[in-house]
Formats: sequence, C-alpha cells, structure tokens
Amino acid sequence: MRVLLASLRLQLQLALRSAEVLQACLMAPLLAVVFLSVASLGGDAGLVAFAPSAIVAPALMALWTSALFTAGQSITEDRALGVFESVVASPAPLPVVLLGRMCAVTAVGLIAFASSWLTSGLVFGHWVVVEHPLVLPVALVATGLATATTAGLLAPLFLLTPSARTVQNTLTYPFYLLGGVLVPVTDLPEWLRPLGRAVFLSWSADLLRDTLLPAPPADPWARLGVVLALGGVASLIGTTLLLRVLHVVRSSGSLSHT
Amino acid sequence: MIAVSASGLTRTFQGGGQALERFTFEVPRGEVHGLLGPNGAGKTTLCRILSTVLLPTGGSASVLGRDVVRDAAHVRRSVGVVFGGDRGVYGRLTARQNLNFWAALHGLSGRALRERVAVLLERTGLTGRADERVDHFSRGMKQRLHLARGLVADPPVLILDEPTAGMDPIAAHEFRDLVAQLRDDGRTVLLTTHDTAEAEAVCDRVTLMRRGAVLATGSPSSVAGLVTSQDRISASGVPAAVVAELVARPEVVVLDGSGGDRVELETSGDTTGEVLHLLVDAGVTRLVRGRPSLEEAYLRLLRRQGMAVDR
Ligand SMILES: Nc1ncnc2c1ncn2[C@@H]1O[C@H](COP(=O)(O)OP(=O)(O)OP(=O)(O)O)[C@@H](O)[C@H]1O
Ligand SMILES: [Mg+2]
Repeated sequence: MRVLLASLRLQLQLALRSAEVLQACLMAPLLAVVFLSVASLGGDAGLVAFAPSAIVAPALMALWTSALFTAGQSITEDRALGVFESVVASPAPLPVVLLGRMCAVTAVGLIAFASSWLTSGLVFGHWVVVEHPLVLPVALVATGLATATTAGLLAPLFLLTPSARTVQNTLTYPFYLLGGVLVPVTDLPEWLRPLGRAVFLSWSADLLRDTLLPAPPADPWARLGVVLALGGVASLIGTTLLLRVLHVVRSSGSLSHT
Repeated sequence: MIAVSASGLTRTFQGGGQALERFTFEVPRGEVHGLLGPNGAGKTTLCRILSTVLLPTGGSASVLGRDVVRDAAHVRRSVGVVFGGDRGVYGRLTARQNLNFWAALHGLSGRALRERVAVLLERTGLTGRADERVDHFSRGMKQRLHLARGLVADPPVLILDEPTAGMDPIAAHEFRDLVAQLRDDGRTVLLTTHDTAEAEAVCDRVTLMRRGAVLATGSPSSVAGLVTSQDRISASGVPAAVVAELVARPEVVVLDGSGGDRVELETSGDTTGEVLHLLVDAGVTRLVRGRPSLEEAYLRLLRRQGMAVDR
C-alpha cells in the first residue's frame, strides 16, 4: 500500500511538471465544444438531450488517452532515465509500482469531467444538473481505477518492444465505440453488444450519463461493482503478464535497453 | 561470513556475445572490493546479475548466502545499487522528492522516512539544494544524489558501478571518505572503477577482470606485486659516478638510467638497503622508494590488449 501510494504520488509529481496534465485538461473541453456544437444544431432541445453524452464522452476520452500514454510512458521513460533497473532491483513489486502510477490518471478523469461540465455551462450557457451527486464521484473514481488497470495491460508490451506504440495508437477510437463512449452500447449492432459489455467503459459511460439525468439510475451500485470487477480482472491479467515479461527481459538482457 | 560470491558465473547474450565466463570470486562481509578491467570486461554485467536485474546463463551467485536467481526477493532487500553515472534519478523532481520515492519503495514511511532522507541529503552534501529540480544539478551533484539513492535502504551490501566517473577531484575524495564510513559501519561494498588510484585508496581487495573472467585477485599491493616483487627506487641529482656504480651492479635492475643524474631502479631484499645507503652517502636527497602501483600492474597485465575493448 505504501509503495502504491508513493508511486501514485510520484506520477502526480512527474505529471505536474510535464505537458501531460495540460494536454488532458485541454482535450476534454475542446472535445466538449465540438460535441456540444453538434448537439446544439438540434436547437435548445437537442442541446438539453445530448448534453450528458457531450460531457461524459470527452471526459472518458481524455481519461483513456492519458491512461494509454502513462502506460507506455512510465516504463519507457524510466528506462531512458536509467531508473528502471533500480526500480526492479528494489524490494517493491513492479506491478504495484506500475499500478500506483496508473492510478494517478484518476485525477485526470476528475479534472476532465469538471472541465467538460464547465464548458457546457460557460460556453453554451447550459448548466447540466448533477442529479445524483452521490453516485457521480464514486463512479468517476471507480472508472479511473478500472481505466488504470485496463490501460496498464499495455505496459508489459512496452517492456518487450518500443513498437508497442502502434498498438497504443489503435486502441483509441475502436475502444471508444466498443466502450459506448460516443454512443451507448445499446445503439451498436447487435452482434457487437456482448463485446461492448465486456469493456468496463461501456458500464462507466452509461452510469455517468445516468447521473446527469433526472431519473434515478437503476442498480447503480451493482453497475459500479461490474466496473470494478472488470477492472480487477484486468489487474490480475496485467500483473501476470508483467511478471512474465519481466522474467523474459531479465533472461534476454534487454531490461535496461531503451 | 561471505557477503557476495560467484561460482562459475557465466552470461552469454543472443548473438553469441559472452560477457562473463566462469567467473568465480568471493567477497567477505565488511570488505570493500574493487572490480577493475577494460571496457567490456564484464563488470557491469556482474553488477547486474548480483542485483537481480539480469539472469545468469550459467553458474551461480549469491548475496549473504541467498541465491540471486532463486531468492531474488531476499537479495533485493539486502542490496543497494548504483548503476553508474549521473542517470538513475528523476530529473523533473527535486532531490528530496526522488529520495522520498526510493525510500518508500524500500518500505520506509512517516518519520523514519523523513529522517533517513534528511540524513542522506546531509551525508552527500545536498541539503542546501534538496528542494531544487534535479535537472538543474551539475553532473557530480546528480551522481551524489544517485549514490544517496543507493544508500536509502541502509543496505548491508552495496553494489556501485562506476560511482565516481565524472566527479570532480574534491567530490571523488569525499566519495572515498564516504566509502570509508560505509566500511566502518560494517557494510560490504563492491565497486567498479577505472581509477586504479581510487581502487588502491579505498579497496581492501581488488579483482582484475578480463574477458569475463578473473585475471588476478587480492589486496591492491599483492595484485601490484604480481607483476614484480621488487622495491622501486627513483632518485634525481645523482652524481655520474654513483649512477655508473649502480648500473654496474648485477642485482639492480635499471628501469631508467638515461636521464643524466636521474635513475629509476628495481631492487629487492638487502640490496634495497645497500642502494639507499649508497645514494644517501652520495648526498642524494631527492629520493623516492616505493612499490609498483596498482596502475602499473594493471597496465602490465592488460597492456597487450592495447586500445581494443574486451570484446
Ligand atoms: N544486454 C546486452 N546484450 C548484448 N551484449 C551485452 C549486453 N550487455 C553487455 N553486453 C556485452 O557484454 C560485454 C561486457 O559488457 P559490460 O557492460 O559488462 O562491460 P564493462 O566491464 O562494464 O565495461 P565498461 O568498463 O565499458 O563499463 C560487452 O562485450 C558488451 O557488449
Ligand atoms: Mg560498465
């Protein structure tokens, strides 16, 4: 736990001194402007109807992008700095260090959500009411954690090969579609829906949108449980993969390569 | 008790490169042990294996009796590593933030952590710059921070790969004091260096490596003694007649007698005394008597290789 928190703090300290946070904070409101502009083409009614989606989607997109970035960057940068060997040589388990650093993206999720919400109010004059203020923050944090473990699955790949960047790049838009970020999973072709349901983002996106609607969300805690459970599964797979790959690079001698 | 040992340790890389070839040595607890050898001799590879970040392809190694492969988790708790140079720290963070992170990785927290970090900053002379970004540090300061990082867990065994490369002479001398302190604390230190004078000054024993294997091992003076067991005398302001007399003696080896009133000789046993008497009686005051240095032994043992790296 100590290691987890220290790694989380490290990541926040590093992020504060880089363009990352700025980028994530800019990305969400800019996307929100695009989505809200499209929504307002349908007049005030359109804006009101689509605002929840137009606020949730940019937040999740910024969160996911920044998580993918962190997953690739944390190990690649550590190697370039000559820090990675020392992390591995320390008694702290590498998966915990990585998880701690990934969890820092939760902060990006919170900032991104707040800034898209503000954009709707300040730019479009439409203040979306948070109808379920208890569920919203919990859902955002759960989403952040599940994002951390899911995007963290990429890190072992980066340890194996720097060309993992191509994989990283392809994991954005298809994932937004499958994860019901842009349109709810229920609007996807029928054969795609089960796949979408396996992606934690689809549960998060639905739930986050629901917190901005007047009707009480159905079974919010169970749905949160699904988000966390899917995140937990990703974390188990990620840990196994990472330990496996760590063994491979210790054998091949490529651990300290950049 | 043995702190670090390797037995038949071998490491080959894909493509056939062989960095260690049946390397065998032992470092007793509390010893400061130097690893010397040309570029590519396998020093860093050995340090990596001992610190568990690289697996050997043959043989075995252990730290405080724990196998570095089978019992890596245990080894990681007892070893502090510094992998050379001014890298190995986060430039975007301050010195203190860096040490806080590493201390936490080694299981420290709360007050113990803060105190430990303060002690290390003090010990490495960084207290005044503790809250500055490391990016703005000079190379030597980064190195000191890196060294502090290796000490953060207060480990019984330290592995330092070229800790002084690029340090200014003052910092390098302070480093010697630091190593002496570590030895006084009873810690075992394994350090690689290209500075034979440094090895001579701080190491109880040294191992000369070549092509991944041990070339010689022992105290710096005994390793120096491998190339010659002779005493070394150099003198200047020597009258020509005395020079002639010395050159004529069969048991005296003249290393350099061409420089007019300067001579450099090798002698042994009683002859050393006789030669010294002769010189002093002739009124020679500029006189140095010594043993060949580790540097000389190193050069003689490895000279044939020339500038070529080890592989
Ligand atoms: N990861 C690796 N993959 C392939 N070859 C390697 C690897 N690491 C080291 N080698 C090779 O192993 C040999 C020993 O390298 P090593 O870094 O241990 O030497 P060294 O004694 O530390 O040299 P230096 O004094 O230059 O630091 C070299 O020939 C090097 O090219
Ligand atoms: Mg080296």
